[in-house]
Order: sequence, then C-alpha cells, then structure tokens
Amino acid sequence: MSKFIATAAIKGARAIVAQAEDEVKKAIEKYGTDQRVAFTNTAYYLPTIYGLTGNKIETLGDMLPTIEHCKALVPEVPSDRLWLPYLGNALDAGMATLFAEELIEGVRSIGAASGTWPEKAPWGQYNGSIDDIQLRSWGIQLVDGRMPGFAAIVGTAKSTEVAVKIVRELQARGILIFLSAKSEGRDGKKSITDQLMEAGVELGYDTFTVPFGSDTISAVHALGFATRAALTFGGVKAGQAEDILLYNKYRSMAFVLALGEVDELKYATAAGAVSYGFPTIADTAIPNIYPNGLTIYEAVVSMPFDEIPGENDLERAEKLVQRCIEVRGLRIKVTKIPIPVAYGSAFEGERVRKDQLRVEFGGKRSQCFEYLRTVDSESIEDGKITLEGPDLDEVPDGAALNLAIVVDVAGRKMEKDFEPVLERQIHHFINGAEGIQHIGQRDIAWVRIAKSSTDKGFRIKHLGEILRARMLGEFGAIIQKVQVRLYTDPARVEEMLKVARQAYHERNVRLADMTDESVDTFYSCTLCQSFAPTHVCVVSPERLGLCGAYNWLDCKASYEINPSGPNKPIAKGRLIDPVKGIWEGSNEFVYNNSQRAIENVTLYSIMESPMTACGCFECIVMIIPEANGVMVVSREDSSMTPAGMTFSTLAGMAGGGLQTPGVMGVGKYYLTSKKFISAEGGMKRIVWMSSFLKESMPEELKAAAEREGDPELIDKIADERSVTTVEELLAWLEEKGHPALTMDPLF
Amino acid sequence: MPVTVETPIEKWNGKVREVTLGATQAEGGTRTSTVTVGGSATLPFLHFEGSVPHRPVIAIQIQDVDPQDWSPALRAAWGDTTKDVVAWAKKAAELGPDLIALNLRSAHPDAGNRGADEVAQTVKSVLGAVGLPLIVYGPGVAEKDNDVLVRVAEVTAGERLAIGLCEQGNYRTIVAACLANGHIAIARAPIDVNIQKQINILINDMGLPLDRILMDPTTGALGYGLEYSYSVLERLRLSSLQGDGMTQMPTICTVGEEAWRAKESKVSEGVPEAWGNYAERGVIWETITATTQLQAGADIVVLRHPKAVGLIRKTIDLMMAQ
Repeated sequence: MSKFIATAAIKGARAIVAQAEDEVKKAIEKYGTDQRVAFTNTAYYLPTIYGLTGNKIETLGDMLPTIEHCKALVPEVPSDRLWLPYLGNALDAGMATLFAEELIEGVRSIGAASGTWPEKAPWGQYNGSIDDIQLRSWGIQLVDGRMPGFAAIVGTAKSTEVAVKIVRELQARGILIFLSAKSEGRDGKKSITDQLMEAGVELGYDTFTVPFGSDTISAVHALGFATRAALTFGGVKAGQAEDILLYNKYRSMAFVLALGEVDELKYATAAGAVSYGFPTIADTAIPNIYPNGLTIYEAVVSMPFDEIPGENDLERAEKLVQRCIEVRGLRIKVTKIPIPVAYGSAFEGERVRKDQLRVEFGGKRSQCFEYLRTVDSESIEDGKITLEGPDLDEVPDGAALNLAIVVDVAGRKMEKDFEPVLERQIHHFINGAEGIQHIGQRDIAWVRIAKSSTDKGFRIKHLGEILRARMLGEFGAIIQKVQVRLYTDPARVEEMLKVARQAYHERNVRLADMTDESVDTFYSCTLCQSFAPTHVCVVSPERLGLCGAYNWLDCKASYEINPSGPNKPIAKGRLIDPVKGIWEGSNEFVYNNSQRAIENVTLYSIMESPMTACGCFECIVMIIPEANGVMVVSREDSSMTPAGMTFSTLAGMAGGGLQTPGVMGVGKYYLTSKKFISAEGGMKRIVWMSSFLKESMPEELKAAAEREGDPELIDKIADERSVTTVEELLAWLEEKGHPALTMDPLF
Repeated sequence: MPVTVETPIEKWNGKVREVTLGATQAEGGTRTSTVTVGGSATLPFLHFEGSVPHRPVIAIQIQDVDPQDWSPALRAAWGDTTKDVVAWAKKAAELGPDLIALNLRSAHPDAGNRGADEVAQTVKSVLGAVGLPLIVYGPGVAEKDNDVLVRVAEVTAGERLAIGLCEQGNYRTIVAACLANGHIAIARAPIDVNIQKQINILINDMGLPLDRILMDPTTGALGYGLEYSYSVLERLRLSSLQGDGMTQMPTICTVGEEAWRAKESKVSEGVPEAWGNYAERGVIWETITATTQLQAGADIVVLRHPKAVGLIRKTIDLMMAQ
C-alpha cells in the first residue's frame, strides 16, 4: 500500500478515535452511562461494531470498551524514515475509524428523541442509518442479482449537473446509492446530497438513494448495511469478523466513489471499506493501489475528473461511473430491452414474407455481416449505439440495404477466443424480436424487417439495444461493456467488411492451427446425460462434439460463463497412448462421470474403446469389414447403406452411451480432422459416404484429402447414388483404386 | 439339498444428507414437532446393507383456494373443507401425515391473483391451526412466486418451512428469502440428474447450507413418465451413495399432483368398462406412483387423497419393518 495513503489513514484514524472518545465522555457526563443509544429500527445494535466484534452496544456505558479497542487498534503514525509496507497497520486504522465513526453516530442518535437526529438540512432531513425492513428488501435484491451492487458516494461532485448525471447513471443500472459527506473547496461547501436536492432529484428508499448525512462520519452506515447483509444473508454470526468481510468481498458488489478532495478521515474510512473488499474510486489525483488480495481487482483507483477524456462534464461523469463498475466487476442486467416491439423466444421461428417486408439486409440483393470483437476497456462506452447511413424510415418499402453490425465488447474475463462463440449468438438474440427475421452468420447473415415492426417505431439502432441487453444478460460473467456500431452507408460497410473478413480468416487459421498436443486441457460435455446417462463427450481441439454444435472453444467459453454447467475442463494428465489418443485424465473423467460404466476411452480410434455417443451425432461411422474401411452415414440420408441398415437402425447401435467397437457417432467436421480415426489410418479408410456430406462441405473435404496425400480421394469414395450394397461397393473401390484396399487389415 | 446363498453387500462411501423440517419454540419456530428426512446409507429399504435412520414421510397437499379443477373423486373425499384452508389443514392433520404441503394457488393470476400480504396471512393462519412442519409452494408463476414467497418467508421467519419451487430459470430470489429467514429451499429440475446437480450447486453457491436444500427431480405419474422419474431418483441416490456431495439432498416427490392430473384418475365416461370405478382407480394411480417413487428413493411423497395416505403409510410401515 502506498505510504502516503497509509500515513494519511493512520492520522485520520487517530483523530477520529480521539474525537469519539471525547464525544462519548462528554455525553456520559451529560446523560449518564445508562443513556440508551440505538439506530432506528434495527435489531443489530451498532451494526459494524456488533458484527465485527460481537459487542452489543445499547447504552453509552457499553461504548467504553470499544473506545479502548479502537485505541489499541490504531497504530503510530509511521516515521519519515520507515519504508516498510503498511497494509496491516492501515487496515487496523481503517477498522478503528469505522468503530469510532459508529460510536459518534451512536452518541448522535440520542437526539432522535428530540428530533435532532438524523441530521437536519435546509431542504429537510437526512436519513441516517437504514432500517432492518429496508435492509431485507434490498438485501434480497442484492443477493438475487436484481440489484448489481451499491455505491457509497462520499464528497461533492464537480458541479450540480455532474452530481445528477452520476446518480442517474447509477440508477439506470439499478445500483443502490448511499450519499454522505462533502468536499471542502468544491461547489461552495455543498454536500453531494445538497447538490442533488438543489437539482430537484427525488431521494429516498423509493428511488434507491439514501442520504446518510453531510459529514464523512455518516458514511459508516454503508458499512453497517454491508455488515448486516452478511449477518442476514450470509449465515454468519456476530463476532465472525473474517467471514463477514469475506462475504462482502465476494458477494456485496459495493464500491466507494470519492468525489473531491480526499482528506485524512476519508482515507481512514476508505481503508475500513477496503477490508470489506470495497475499492475506492476517486475523481481527484491520489495514489493508485493495485490488487492486493483484499479487493478482487484494484483497491484504490484515481481518475482525476478533468482529465477524463470526453466532450463535456456529462460524458466524463458517465465514464467515471463505468470505471467504478469495472473496478468492482459489477454484473449489470438489462431487465427490459428498450425496443418498441415484443421480444421473446416465441418470435424466434417467425418468418418475414415478401408482402410484409419493409427492408432487408443481405440475402441476394445486398450485403450484410456481423462481427463481434474484443476491445480495450478504455476505448469503449457501454450502451453506446451508433448508426452511420440511412435508417429504416428513409428508404422505400421492400428495399435492400447493406448492413454492418459491429459489436464491441470488453470485460475482465473476455478472451479473444470467445469472440466467435458470442458472435454466433447474434442470430439467436436478434431473432427474438417480433417481426425481425435473422438467418446465417458472419458475412452470410440475412436480416428481414417487417412493416408491422417499423410501424411500431422499430429502427436499426434497436438491433444494437437487443444485442447489448442480451449479451450482458447471457455473458455478464465475462463481459461488462457492450457498444454496437451499425453501418448502412455502403462505403463504410465495405470498409468494415474488410476488417471483419480479415478477422474471420484469422479465426479460421487459429482454429486450424490448434492441435490436441497444443493444449493441456480438453473439455467434457454432459449436456445429453438426461437421456444417455452414461455418455460423456470429450471435446478436444481436433475432435469437436458429436452434435457439431460444440467445439473446444465453445466448451471453454461455456465453462467460463457457467462453471457449474455441462462443460467441465479435463486435465489431459499422463499420455497413455499417442496413437489411439488415450490419456489418464480423460479416462478418469469419463469413468467418474459415466456412472462408472466406461473405463477406457480413445479419442482417435473406432476399433478400440471408441468414444460413446448420446444420440445427437451428425453422422455415424461404421466399419465395412469386406472393404477394409469405414462408411459414414449422415443424419439427412435416409437411404439404404452398404451395411444393410439405414441411419435410424444404425443409430440404435451407435447411441445410448454404449461403447460398440466398429461403430461411432461423430460430428461431421471431425471427418476432416487429421485425428479422424488416425489410429486406423485416418480419412483414407472412408470407402462410402452419404452424398449430403460431400455436398455440404466440399472445400473442407478437398483440403483434408490433399493433406492426406490423395487429392482425388473424395471421388474414390462411393455414395448412395451409386452404391447401396457391399458387392457394388467392392466393385466400385476396385474400379477407382481406393487406397483402403491396400491398407493394413482392420482386424 | 439346502443351499446357502450369501447376500451380496455393497459398500458405499456416501449417504443422503439429513434435513430437518420445522422448528419448535425452543428452536425459534412454533411447530409442535419436527421431521427429519434423509440419512440413508444404502438404497431404499435395504436394511441388511446399510443404515436407514429415517423413514420416508408423507405430506398431504392442500391449497388456499377451493380446487374446483380437481378430480371429483378427490373433491368428494375432502367434502366442504376444501372451501376453507384452515379447516382443510386441520382435517388433513387428523389423518396423521408427517407434513402439510400448502399450495398458494390463490396468488396465481388465473385463480384470484391475491397479493403477497394476504397470502402470507393465510400461511400464518395455517401455522396457527396445525403443529406440523409446513411445505409452501408458490403459485408457479415466477414473478408472483418471488413476490409472494419472499413475504411468506419473512412473516414465518424461523419456522424452517420448505419453500418452492426453485428452478433453473428462477431461484435466486426464493433462495435469498430462505437465507434471510432460516427456511429450506426446494430445488426442482426437469427429470435431469445434471440439471438437478447444477441447481443444487447454484443454490449452495448463494450461501444456503446443504442441509437446507431438498431436491424435487420432478415426478412423472404412472403412464406419464414414471419410469423416467424412477430412473432419475435411482441415479441421484446412487450418486449420493458414491459420495457426490452435490446430489446428497433428500428428495421430495409431488405424487398427488401428477397422479391426479392423469386422465385415468379423472375421467369416468368414454373409457373401457374394464377400467372399473374411476374414484378407486384414481387412488390406485396415486398409490402405485407413490410406492414406485419410494422404491426408487423418494424421502418425501406429497399426496392428495386420504385413502392413498393410509395405503402409503401402511407400505412404509411394512418396508421399514426389519
């Protein structure tokens, strides 16, 4: 911790503890030790002291031991020559500060009887501490995620206008706001509360804004609230200080926003807040404190207000709030998507027909693409949605426009590798809007918008609103900011398309370059265990899930987003057999997650312990012993195969979590992997393949055949159009000179 | 020639967790008794293999609005008492169940849409009328569930009610209410072991201790998926015996609700004569569904018909006799 901050905090603590001692003693002289002290409607006494020490303070006399405790806690002010780290000392000082502040507020609470507490102001009266009923009501919302967290604002904003903007930005995100203190030298000695009252902002429980008081001492009620939240919702008992602090670190997404000069008492109070895991963001120049274990991310962040990049103070205020959210890692949810049409899964399958069409993007008549990218958190403004080019109401009915959808995201846990995973959700997200149809992805996307929707006011920017809301809702665990740029201006679309295509290309290369050897973790998928209880998919970079829907990156992202979900990391562990693809880690995982039904599984072999399948495979691979090779039947192919069985009959053998050597259900892109039954010789073993497969991925198959050293291979593979029996197959293979005939025997 | 056959004994290293419903005055509630379920260290009723410390228990389901959509057979069995939830609760308690399951149907938008305060008072009055521990179900509409159950949890703080349903799409608010007021959460999954485990983990992650979670893996009635729920219950039990801490919660099965939803227990006309008297048929439907679930590992069965209650109690008595 910075020596400067530590010294200031310790000085602040010493002063406030002395003040508390003085005020308590004077009060005892005046009222006697039996005088009752209590905050309004709480069963938690003076809650910070009660929670962290277990002391129940009910009278002035009860305060005396806590004063001694504070004095014991506060360290000496470090001498100029001492350069050791001061973290522990500063934290003790912070705790003593909170206790002292709470004692002073406790003394003040005597005035409740005569109406002088909570503090009066020219505009009315502050709120003082929060009562237990309100605590429970907000507590539930903080616990269930409806409220992302709370902000303790301390000080005075640069101007009334900035004060209002900060509060509005926080309110718009559902963040609870506590207000206290003022900053000398800013805005004529007004407190933040005075500023808001002056601007006519409605404060109170109903608007999620609670003004505690006009001095820093009253800020302690924010920590009292946090302490009671842990006691109420954390199953923690009074006196279990560490549990209370940890509960708040991981579960109360709170932060301190210090506006204006940070004086010694504010440093001391902030030091107390840091023990709860609450970072401080200051809008003045103070030393930064980077992660130190107490807070999840940074502990103190300085963001001098006038140096924040922005057109004006309002923009600067917005960025300040965004930075707060980032530093604490708040998870923002958009509960209602701000669009003028209905939204829900009911609209996903909807078609927009020609006579209903207002405008379309993509398809045969125009170009449409979507591109999601990770950007540096500094260069993104959450919620900003821009359109360059004509909007829906500026073109004739049935028009075709070019459209670029560029989604910028930023988040602490976002990885470049997750971009395609998030991008693919654009289809699903946009389709949920009434009267909007979305087909395809990347640069073959096709969006059609119905007249009925534009009549209700739907415009292009609403696509951005949908994407932001859904992205934050679904992927809030990894992203905190979403900005959407939309372009219909042809020149701009063309320009962005180049950028996007470059990125698509890089992704393809990245995926193609990833090998099973290059990673130390595979991922499991047990999504289908509801109907195939013993089946476990082991997904590796070179073998995607058999349903074709989950590749290794998808599983990785899914795990980051939802660690308790169906995709778990599998540490490969010791390599048992590089040819067949057997690792200790994959065997152990499959055994433990297949109800101990499957002991051994290979990733690259069909003959020995092949991977099991649920029933969702895109195609079935089965050996044809007579041909010394395998056939591949796709789900789309209902015709007879040389094995004498159709897909549906074969499916019974391949699925259900059974391990049947010689039969395997796989994803179709596994066919093009160099690890495709590589134990048995790979792709050259394919003697027969449904024509659907040849037609649905000709480029990929061609490339794989070239890689295998037999560019004509695909033409040598029979399909249902020419061959339906083993006899015909053998004749075909002889005629074409298929390599399988001369390969090592399968048995 | 006499042959000695040795009974094979499986050695398990896990067991079902014990969960206690209800709290007496000494424990911060007002119940006259509490009920502990779970604790089994073997498959259901295999007394020779491992300890079965607690018998499976019966809850009788009642609701706070006259169930006009219930089968006439059920309505006839309960008579006029269904018009008054307190009278109904008392009559149900006379049948000697272990628990009462109160369905807050009146809060459903289609059944009166009563507000949280009013409904919470209903729960209070049922608690006042009977001393048994209570299970409380919301109306089953996420938004209303959250509104109503939070209020119920508050006014009954310390009673250790079992509150449901917590489902994958909507659980956080109910769990938060349980956390704050000392209740038990019922976690429901759609006949899926992995989703069940996931929701258990998610609830526990919020800070609710494992001994305050019950699992409802969804019941399919006879002819309506019974074999699926049998399989899922069995798998959950096997996995808890194998030591998976996240599937070791006791299970609760809403047998009555599902069995009496079946056409066979409602329809008297237009069905083959061989099906017999439909009132009797309904009781059999419920009883067969319940006994099957008990054999698969149910710890709590929620029943509707008084006769089924008697038959199931007899079954449990026999299965627990050693």
